[in-house]
Amino acid sequence: MSTKPDKVGAVLVVGSGIAGIQASLDLAESGYYVYLVEKNPAIGGVMPMLDKTFPTNDCSMCILSPKLVDCGRHLNVNTITNAEVMDIQGEPGNFKVTLKQKARFVDPTKCTGCGSCAEQCPVKVPDEFNQGLNNRKAIYKLYAQAFPNAYAIDPTKCLRIKKPKACGKCLKACQANAIDHTMTDQITEIEVGSVILCPGFDKFDSGQLAYYGYGKHPNVVTSMEFERLLSASGPFGGHMQRPSDGKEPHKVAWIQCVGSRNCRIDRGYCSSVCCMYAIKEAVIAKEHSPYPLETAIFFMDMRTYGKDFEKYYEKAQHENGVRFIRSRVYEIIEAGDGTGNCRIRYADDEGNITYEDFDLAVLSIGLDPPTEMVELAGKLGVELNKFNFCQPAKLTGVGTNKPGIFVAGAFSGPRDIPETVMQASAAAADSAADLAEVRSTLTKVKEYPPEKDVAGEIVRTGVFVCHCGINIGSVVNVPEVAEYAKTLPTVVFATDNLYTCSQDTSAQIKEVIAKHNLNRVIVASCSPRTHEPMFQETLKEAGLNPNLFEMTNIRDQCSWVHMHEPEEATEKAKDLVKMAVYKAALLEPINSVSLDMNHDALVIGGGVSGMTSAVNLSKQGYKVYLVEKAGLLGGIANRIRYGMTGEDIPAFVSNLINQVTTDEKITVYTGVEITDVHGFVGNFETIISSGEVIKHGVTVIATGAEEYKPTEYLYGQNDRVMTLLEMESLLAEGDSKIKDAKNIVFIQCVGSREPERPYCSRICCTKSIKQALLVKEANPEANVFMLYRDIRTYGFYEELYSEARSKGIIFIRYSVDNKPVMEATDNSVKVTVTDHVLNVPIEIEADLIGLASAIVSSKDNNSKLSQFYKVPLNQEGFFLEAHMKLRPVDFGTDGVFMCGLAHGPKNLDENINQAKAAVGRACTVLAKNTITVEGKSAFVNKNKCAGCGECEAVCPAKAVQVDPVQKIAVVNEALCKGCGACASSCRCGAINIKGCTNQQLVAMLNAL
Amino acid sequence: MEYEPKIVAFLCNWCSYAGADLAGIGRIQYPPNIRVIRIPCSGRINPLFIIKALRQGADAVLTSG
Amino acid sequence: MPKLAEQIKDAAKKLLAEQKVDLVVGFAEGSLPLRGTPLFARTPEEADKLTWNLGCENNLANYLRKKPGKVAVVAKGCDVRAIIALVKENQINRDDLYIIGVPCSGMIDRKKTAALLDDEDILAIEESGDTVVIKSNNSSATAKVADLLHNSCRDCSYGNPVIYDELVGELLPEKEAADFTEINDFEAKSVAERRAFMNSEFSKCIRCYACRNACPLCYCEECFVDCNQPEWIGKSAYNTEDNILFQVVRVFHCAGRCVDCGACERACPMGINLRLLTRKLVKDVKELYNAEAGVNMEDKPALATFTVDDPEAFLLKE
Repeated sequence: MSTKPDKVGAVLVVGSGIAGIQASLDLAESGYYVYLVEKNPAIGGVMPMLDKTFPTNDCSMCILSPKLVDCGRHLNVNTITNAEVMDIQGEPGNFKVTLKQKARFVDPTKCTGCGSCAEQCPVKVPDEFNQGLNNRKAIYKLYAQAFPNAYAIDPTKCLRIKKPKACGKCLKACQANAIDHTMTDQITEIEVGSVILCPGFDKFDSGQLAYYGYGKHPNVVTSMEFERLLSASGPFGGHMQRPSDGKEPHKVAWIQCVGSRNCRIDRGYCSSVCCMYAIKEAVIAKEHSPYPLETAIFFMDMRTYGKDFEKYYEKAQHENGVRFIRSRVYEIIEAGDGTGNCRIRYADDEGNITYEDFDLAVLSIGLDPPTEMVELAGKLGVELNKFNFCQPAKLTGVGTNKPGIFVAGAFSGPRDIPETVMQASAAAADSAADLAEVRSTLTKVKEYPPEKDVAGEIVRTGVFVCHCGINIGSVVNVPEVAEYAKTLPTVVFATDNLYTCSQDTSAQIKEVIAKHNLNRVIVASCSPRTHEPMFQETLKEAGLNPNLFEMTNIRDQCSWVHMHEPEEATEKAKDLVKMAVYKAALLEPINSVSLDMNHDALVIGGGVSGMTSAVNLSKQGYKVYLVEKAGLLGGIANRIRYGMTGEDIPAFVSNLINQVTTDEKITVYTGVEITDVHGFVGNFETIISSGEVIKHGVTVIATGAEEYKPTEYLYGQNDRVMTLLEMESLLAEGDSKIKDAKNIVFIQCVGSREPERPYCSRICCTKSIKQALLVKEANPEANVFMLYRDIRTYGFYEELYSEARSKGIIFIRYSVDNKPVMEATDNSVKVTVTDHVLNVPIEIEADLIGLASAIVSSKDNNSKLSQFYKVPLNQEGFFLEAHMKLRPVDFGTDGVFMCGLAHGPKNLDENINQAKAAVGRACTVLAKNTITVEGKSAFVNKNKCAGCGECEAVCPAKAVQVDPVQKIAVVNEALCKGCGACASSCRCGAINIKGCTNQQLVAMLNAL
Repeated sequence: MEYEPKIVAFLCNWCSYAGADLAGIGRIQYPPNIRVIRIPCSGRINPLFIIKALRQGADAVLTSG
Repeated sequence: MPKLAEQIKDAAKKLLAEQKVDLVVGFAEGSLPLRGTPLFARTPEEADKLTWNLGCENNLANYLRKKPGKVAVVAKGCDVRAIIALVKENQINRDDLYIIGVPCSGMIDRKKTAALLDDEDILAIEESGDTVVIKSNNSSATAKVADLLHNSCRDCSYGNPVIYDELVGELLPEKEAADFTEINDFEAKSVAERRAFMNSEFSKCIRCYACRNACPLCYCEECFVDCNQPEWIGKSAYNTEDNILFQVVRVFHCAGRCVDCGACERACPMGINLRLLTRKLVKDVKELYNAEAGVNMEDKPALATFTVDDPEAFLLKE
């Protein structure tokens, strides 16, 4: 590929929370070199601090750690921790970035993360990771699973840094010589083509709101503190207790909107995530407690607007028994009865002032913009909104006012993890779009010596047993284990090392492999989860297949957990080594598999999402086929006239159509449907109704959704009643019906949040308020009524809500069991609604009624595609992503992505975001020359296979199929994830997993 | 000598094995009777492994994933 | 019965004469009464030997796996259930199979007749209505057919074939599903009692594998018990534990697939109560997943499907 000298094929990612990690991985996998800059000594951001995540209740750390490891180890992600960006100069395609790397005082390349130093360190410091609920040492690792897995010294606390002759206990403890108290800050300069800002958010400081008693009352904690209270790796090991006195709370309250929706302290925005995290914390707390726990959430509007959130809310209410109290909380004071309990004084739904006592009060604190970014943004000329968030440029999803600089995550406005991940992938796509011509110019590929053929050789095993400083050696008799290893069959060499993972031992292993002609290598040390890839690398460098390696864990799962039983621990270590040796004898080289790859993309759906994907894919240099079943491009956006904040949507859509239709790399098909699909990632063949066969490597599903046609509220019977999209065209056309109206009523949740559609359609509150404001503009005299259940103007849309209230739009809340009633009269429709405060029916003679009707999936169309591409739908007929939290645009089926309303209700900005995210993810596939799979896949013994299809039925990756002619199972290695479900359900043992065969596992059992 | 059971554990690499690692990081002490076999997924546990482990003299088998 | 036999013959002859099928699998008379033997007829003349009586107990599904050409089979309820299971497991191509369905109200258990004839071989049998007269060299007895049926037939509620291409005879009235009394009784025993029972029962096993060979769903190219790499369990019949494990795993491999035809137990030369195990799994699958094997073409195999509603009683929860 030719390189233009003026562009740089590298990207700077500022901030290494989940957004930074996702953007880095997407870019690095798409052919760009990434500098990931993090101010803390480890990557991860806020997510590692969370206990569980909504709505799946997955353990946060469990789902994050594979990404942490991938990111940390990626050859093309240069992770720069303890660093900050000082300045960025230059222009899109070529920025010069000045970084300040602060002294860590520990060399991460030498530090093995063993922790001996911290054990010796005498200085205790409140642990900020645990929200100050317990102490760490002055030399510390941010959290247990941190990457880099290395310690750092807190210079403000370390005795020796203050006085060079003091203390130094850590120096003596560190047998790897990794500590150097004389390190200094370094200024470096790097060159990149574009920049992604994703520094996350700050927590709102609850001390600002004295009436909640935080800091004064010891049993008022923040939601973040509560996460750590719940976490098994938290200060109390997951035992839920009050930090003040250790008492197990029996009654816990959550106070919503602490630092959100509060104009008096300049936080006139909704923090978007607190309703859900509070429900989650309440549900998980109930799960945690062995006794019945009472939970209550004090809220104004319950904003469970995301995918599957409403169900979670319903379940919390009706199954988990969480109490929801619609209220305004005035203050939290000591109950004053010697219990230390909190007394919450509040005004209830009907305006009565009352109180209730709780053992513990949790403040659902909002998201503040990251303070340290304000200065940098000023320096870079990146505009922030009035709250100091970097709100993306309209209809870009990720753009800032500065070309080449993009934004993702909570810095762009409060948002949850899936939206952050989406935006990160979108930012990756946009930041790469202008660098397509320099793709793969700076990425590195490692070269290895040719692999030695060990077929037919006598098995010669080498065993390396690690002391891990004193971590293993102080409990397990390591030399004895090494001596024992020498007595085992096939072992021709065994030794013990101080640190098997150190650079010099790695060199030693390579020498020993050559000298003793080893063809199997075993390391007994720490966890293969963290260290196996490193040792396998050593084997590759020594010309051995990396799968001739076996590792056994005698630290995390032996010496550390049997510290007081050295003899038994030593026996266990011996057994583990023996098991590894027995298995290793049966190991065989596994070769990665390469398959040819088609680099074209198919986008299904020609709405805004589909077109945005197509345009972006084309910018990345890929050919795109865009298939739309209607005769026209544009989708449902053709009926939208105004964006949420006044954008000219018709102009935007026609511009997009123009781009799509004039782009040489995009082939547009309208009026066609998909009739059949064959193949898999890299090799799809999609047949369309015209008979044409499209060959493509990836698929983006962007089939959109529809507006629900109401059967309620006289819709279709009275022409004063219309949906919001119908109202939109009246507004745009300046229809006299609006100008002449005296009373206009909007009704929320029409068809949403109902038993048959138990989800929130997300956009209707904001859209209705937007229209209500337009009505007020066109006809200031009109009375506009908004009948609602909860107003869900999340994020900055809260400002629209405030504006609507200040402009006199009348909000009346109705309850679901007492819905508004309509009655047609001669010259109006009489709407009767019961106001919750007055508790009396109000009658409105409405001239026009706008129904905020639900967004519904194109179920039939989706279910066809679902079968064609082997991707699932949820109950509502929207496509179901691979993981609700961390893979929001992916499917379990590789090479198929989705975006837009096909995924679930979203507004235009969000759809654009997701459309770009789908591109960001698709590019990680398209950038590869071939599809390479690790090869630890299933394989079939044809002589044994009876073709019964059990494997096909159980395979979650749809990677096995029975050949219809030969009646033998065939594995598609490109799809196989190596989980082994097939092998364990195969009755005759015909199917097995490379590197984990029945024989190998039984060999381990035989060693016992 | 007192009876000491031998327990074979099949642990999924992604969750339970990671959990066992975490127990180590947290220095949570437990009896040394367990012998862990790391597998790619709890789906890999063939019921025959359990039978085989018991036939090889294991007193108990833990499968977790 | 003789009328049914004639109808079967006619159907088979017609199929062969019109060359709709290459082969008809059915029953011929055996050397002794109640010893119906499988017949493979390739011509209308050969089809003349076809018969139908109370001794047509074998499960003919056994002979249909991966057979080339078009085949017709004379199939009673349990044969059809096994056929359905095998079709779902790619062992039989439904399009190449012609099912001559025969409603069946049960086959006679020779162990039960022998008990009436002082353990002598039955030499003649005369049917009249729902009773039979059975004769040996030295004695004779009259009994109700219903009292002589195999236990599997007694408990069977699928005597009518659930699918067929052609039906001979009349469909029988619906029969209520039998309960699991003997399984419930077994489950109610203490662990020690069950253990003792298993030990005594399986000490009889000689590892002849007749059970496996008779089972229409035991068709692995290599049974796990014959596997050497790895060797899962010992192969000698002297070790009762291995015998138990063999049977336990065999039964487990049939869980959700077993159609309760009773072929394994009939085949056992040592008289081991194998159906106690198979039926236990039938019961569990029915109770856990509300599933029965081979009762329609639509249901997926119970143990190869997962839904979020599946009971997970085996999971240890806090």
